Amino acid sequence: MKYLKQAFDFCVNEWKSYSKNIQITLLVLGFLVAGFLVFGIQILFWGLGYTDMNNMFAFGQWIIGDLGLVALGGGAFTTGFILYIFRNDKLEPLINSTVLIGFLCYLFTLVFLVFDIGQPLRAWFGYTYPNWGPGLMPQSMLTEVVWCLTFYFCVLFIELIPIPLGHRLLDRYPVIHAIGHYMHKLMWIMAAVGTFLSFFHQGSLGGGMWGVLYGKSQWFRPHFFFLAIVMATAGGTSFMILCAWLAGKVMKKEVVPMESFQSLAKVSGIMMIAYLVFNAYDVYSMATKYVPLYDRTFVDTWGGYYGIWMLVLEFLFTLGAIVILVVPKFRNTEKTMVYGVISGVMAIVMNKSITVLHGSSVPNFPWKPFVGYNPTIQEWFVFLGGLATAVLIYMWFAKYLPLFPHADKHAHGEEHHA
Amino acid sequence: MAQEKKKESAMKRRWGMAIDLDKCTGCGQCQVACSQENNIPLFEDDSELLKRVVFLDVMKVTNDRDRAAQYPNVKTAFIPKMCQQCSGNDPKNPKPPCVSVCPVVATDVGDDGVVSQVWSRCIGCRYCQASCPYEARQFNWWKPEYEGSFKESLNPEVSVASRGTIVKCTFCSHIWKRERDKMLARGVKDINAVQYTPACVSGCPTGAMVFGDLNDPASEVSRLAKTDRAFRLVHTIDTWDEAKKKEAQAKKDYPNPKVYYLSSQQWLRDMMRFK
Ligand code: SF4
Repeated sequence: MKYLKQAFDFCVNEWKSYSKNIQITLLVLGFLVAGFLVFGIQILFWGLGYTDMNNMFAFGQWIIGDLGLVALGGGAFTTGFILYIFRNDKLEPLINSTVLIGFLCYLFTLVFLVFDIGQPLRAWFGYTYPNWGPGLMPQSMLTEVVWCLTFYFCVLFIELIPIPLGHRLLDRYPVIHAIGHYMHKLMWIMAAVGTFLSFFHQGSLGGGMWGVLYGKSQWFRPHFFFLAIVMATAGGTSFMILCAWLAGKVMKKEVVPMESFQSLAKVSGIMMIAYLVFNAYDVYSMATKYVPLYDRTFVDTWGGYYGIWMLVLEFLFTLGAIVILVVPKFRNTEKTMVYGVISGVMAIVMNKSITVLHGSSVPNFPWKPFVGYNPTIQEWFVFLGGLATAVLIYMWFAKYLPLFPHADKHAHGEEHHA
Repeated sequence: MAQEKKKESAMKRRWGMAIDLDKCTGCGQCQVACSQENNIPLFEDDSELLKRVVFLDVMKVTNDRDRAAQYPNVKTAFIPKMCQQCSGNDPKNPKPPCVSVCPVVATDVGDDGVVSQVWSRCIGCRYCQASCPYEARQFNWWKPEYEGSFKESLNPEVSVASRGTIVKCTFCSHIWKRERDKMLARGVKDINAVQYTPACVSGCPTGAMVFGDLNDPASEVSRLAKTDRAFRLVHTIDTWDEAKKKEAQAKKDYPNPKVYYLSSQQWLRDMMRFK
């Protein structure tokens, strides 16, 4: 009883210590998480009939979420690679946050996948009856996705361990300190393994999975696999900057030095150029080479709700990100840099929406219209509630664990001054 | 043993269908027969068309595509559409759009060319549904239910699917298995299209549907598939000249369905092309 009272008092005091804005944010997130639980149970127990997906529109919001989360979470492998393999030490203050975001992105990708499949209880079939085909490479892109995603998720989990070990309560013990220290030292191995794995599943889930559908003019193109990898390195890095920057704003302190942000922003900007060029080639080759193979024209495959405006927007976002992140003047100003990374993230979100929404809406028969899709309340709550849970976990890490070693050092320094 | 297998494969059939759209009246009997044979769920309210499960859909097509056709020139046709049993470019090494994509091997192509689907293996990811250009794969969005006394008339040879799985037309492969076993018991190792006929074909009152072996040049279906009246759904590559066709096939597979449609009406054939 005494402990209960203590815990309750602790919670009340914590709550009171938060600013008004944080309290409101937490209430909104809590509401979404509650909705996630209620509607999640409904979907798991009563099925996907409660979504607006149907036999014409097989994939919806959750798959956009999956594609987006994996591509944006892909910033973790790029950042890790640049830090540990290229030895760009400026990224050190960002790495913990990056690994955590990567982990959360992959975690919720798997969560959304479980919601999205009709038989969640059979999800393990992906491991026990994989479609490997005769050779070494898996036959189904989805088999590849399931395995690769799982392995990379484990890698991210291992990469995550040193963060809680660095907490001052645990770090006191020499053994734990040593484990954390050596894990950190050996992290380049994980970074290399992660990059290797990421190349495959970024390519397959983001592009290859769609590019192999030879029956569908809106998706088929053999190079889509590679486009998705470039996309993930370009947009993912922007996303990592955005999250850490937001955390700093919320916590009202410098969690990551501007220098680190700019260093990664430059990488993002350069990759965005590669993405723009590749994407332009993609559109060109679709229009001149691949869609005509179906006796259709590229422009005619666009229509309904999801018109060509989506493609235009995607290019505008990419261009915006390039201009801001590549030109030093804009990149070095905090405000514009943030616009740049938002633009970069939006370009990726747009591309994924095009893949799923536009792709699913294209009619298969000349006498049928474009199909529309309007997510139900269940889909919204599972989607937003899932993201809200991820945000809450991130906030918890940021508050209680050494997620931003730079900020901690800084804060301790201030204490000493005082 | 190995020898026996070789002998069996020498007898391989390639089941196909030819549907004469000029004979089809759109009565829907094929659909009813299919639904009854394959335990298609029957909900009290089946008005949610896009979430309904039907293996065979009778599609209505008119020449009024741009709202331009005027009375009395408006024309209508009905197209019974089931799984087209695609083969990919090379029927000897079949590669339908939907088979290689399945992450859990719930679907495969038999050595008679029929594309199977195992309900109880399916995890419901719907990747095959997205891959199918003929909208032939259906998902059980709701738990299959059978209104009233329909439960008593379920077909014991076809398993009732669970909610959240993909189902599709298999050319009534359970009939093939049943009839094959019957013939084997009599010592006959091969069966023909008379012994094995899918439910829709048996149900058609106008004789618009013909089923048979496309490997046998003497079969009626082979003969019909080669006539000038034959075409395949939205498969305009058939109308291209050989050189262009070869070039296109080098770039990608084509579904190459084993269901042929027949019509003498030019407008209907024109409808197969996207404008
Ligand atoms: S029609 Fe669809 S389900 Fe049938 S074989 Fe072709 S792709 Fe597969």
